[in-house]
Amino acid sequence: MKVLIIEDEESLQRSIQQYLNAEGGICDCCSTFDSAYQKLSIYNYDCILLDLTLPDGEGLELLRYLKKLNKTDGVLIISARDAIDQRIEGLQLGADDYLVKPFHLSELNARIMAIVRRRNFAGKNLVVFREIEIDLNARQVKINGQILYLTRKEFDLLLYFIANNGKVISKAAAATHIWGDDADMADSFDFIYTHIKNMRKKLTDAGSKDYFHSIYGIGYKFADS
Amino acid sequence: MKLFSSYNRILLVISFTGLTIIGILFYKTLSYYLDNQIDNGLMEELMEVKDFTHSKNILPAPDIYQDLVIQYKKIASVRNASVFDDTVYYNPKKQRKEAARYLKTDISLGHKAYQVLIICSKVHRDEEIRIIGLIICIPFLLFLIVLYWVNSVLINRLWAPFRKLLVNIKSFNLNHEQSFERVPTNIEEFRELSKAIEDLSFKVRSDYKEIKLFTENASHEMMTPLAVINSKLDTMLQSTHLGPDESETLIDLYKATSKLTKLNQSLLLLVKIDNNLMMDTEEVAVMDMVKEKLDFFNELIQKRNLKIQLYLDPVNITASRQLLDILINNLFSNAIRHNHNGGLIKIKLTGMSLTFSNTGDSGVLREEMIFERFYKNPASEGTGLGLAILKQICNRQDYKLSYSYENHMHIFTVSFI
Repeated sequence: MKVLIIEDEESLQRSIQQYLNAEGGICDCCSTFDSAYQKLSIYNYDCILLDLTLPDGEGLELLRYLKKLNKTDGVLIISARDAIDQRIEGLQLGADDYLVKPFHLSELNARIMAIVRRRNFAGKNLVVFREIEIDLNARQVKINGQILYLTRKEFDLLLYFIANNGKVISKAAAATHIWGDDADMADSFDFIYTHIKNMRKKLTDAGSKDYFHSIYGIGYKFADS
Repeated sequence: MKLFSSYNRILLVISFTGLTIIGILFYKTLSYYLDNQIDNGLMEELMEVKDFTHSKNILPAPDIYQDLVIQYKKIASVRNASVFDDTVYYNPKKQRKEAARYLKTDISLGHKAYQVLIICSKVHRDEEIRIIGLIICIPFLLFLIVLYWVNSVLINRLWAPFRKLLVNIKSFNLNHEQSFERVPTNIEEFRELSKAIEDLSFKVRSDYKEIKLFTENASHEMMTPLAVINSKLDTMLQSTHLGPDESETLIDLYKATSKLTKLNQSLLLLVKIDNNLMMDTEEVAVMDMVKEKLDFFNELIQKRNLKIQLYLDPVNITASRQLLDILINNLFSNAIRHNHNGGLIKIKLTGMSLTFSNTGDSGVLREEMIFERFYKNPASEGTGLGLAILKQICNRQDYKLSYSYENHMHIFTVSFI
């Protein structure tokens, strides 16, 4: 998976790169409009992370340029501004998703995975992890071919963990994924615990291996080890 | 007291005191003058009597005319004194008592002395005073009434621009777009006042805009560093050397960062609502929205064992979907956050209003404080902006937001009308 990170805040750029590289991706980075312009002209990417406010230009211009080149690279806008107009304009110009800063890297990763998945497997949209098979179109989970019923939030959470498998996901990140901006409730962290406990039980009851690993009360890791 | 009534009260007191003083002076002068005339008449009568006695050497017969009585009395000796004075006498012609003036003097006839008493009725003179008084008083009273009326009309008209100005000042609202409306008038003072207020409103508005812009920019600028902190935390989390102590620290850092983020987002949201950035109205099915939110918060509600009672009418209202979403969201999270475990939340929706009632640990809250920004229970984990946002949305949508406390329930009501 090839990803281009266009972000002028270099420390953020480094963190993203580090996180994605560990997933086995290849990351190109640039922090200016001009260098991004050059890279877009030459290479193709599975996904482009685009910050809209660059020191020497407007990020949306790059999006227009990409459209002019008839490229089909996936684009995920990362912006500090949560403006509806900008969001709509970005999506109309062909961006796939819009993520507002600050975000969790696991969230970013899950979004990138979703974009790449949509681009690569047009039509059949399956996520498979060992014996777990998730049909994204039908929103259905099968364990060894048997259908497992999960609530909407459990489904989202499972998909989120699988997208970030092998990574530790903090409870804060998981809560934000489920409740968005309302994840600041005092109880929401505890709730993630209950939620995952229920899901673990459902999965193991259905014959799946237990892939969830608790990390010192701070978060969970979904991994086969 | 209104300016006009205050002015009129003074005017009335002054004119009545003036009228009374002038009236008394006038009456005194006129009485004195008319008494003098009567006295002259009495003197003339006396002259006639003296002439008569001189020429005929006898006293004229005591006479009783319409208003004049002449009497004689024999006395021992002549004292050289004439007395004029007021009296009351019985008028035999008219057969009644009348106010009168008399002249008492002595005359000598041969060697005999007589006292002459001439009494003249004052009825005519009183009549004259009354008529003159009326001739002066009635026009004066009429004049006062007209003056009062002219004053009220004139003052009303003169102060009309002032009242309009007052209405405009009262309707001036920083949160609304329309600027202060200037009042056209020819009166210089009012024109200056209007101009001064207009300038003031411009200044207030531009200052307010600047503050909003500052808040917006500051919050935006903070988002990128927050993103850096968040990403670094996520990176640290992947470290294999993470022990329980480090995890503890990370949890606290996550919490603080998330709180800071939420605070920033809330501030931005307030600015956005202020700037009318979310005003695309549409028909919204409120009942469905409440049910959706209930589902959204379902786990949090179950976790705290909260009982929910719903009384929902299928209501559609025209509003900004985004704002309404935030409104219901904040009402929900408020009712859940400040509840105690096993508590109760009542939600009532009618065409008129949406009411959230919840049990809670604290007693009655101060309505004038709770909607202020950053006012919160010290124990609360929230930002202290939730209710302020609620208030701001209601202001924007012209809803009425009120708080009450009944039967140990905190009740928040949003009236749509």
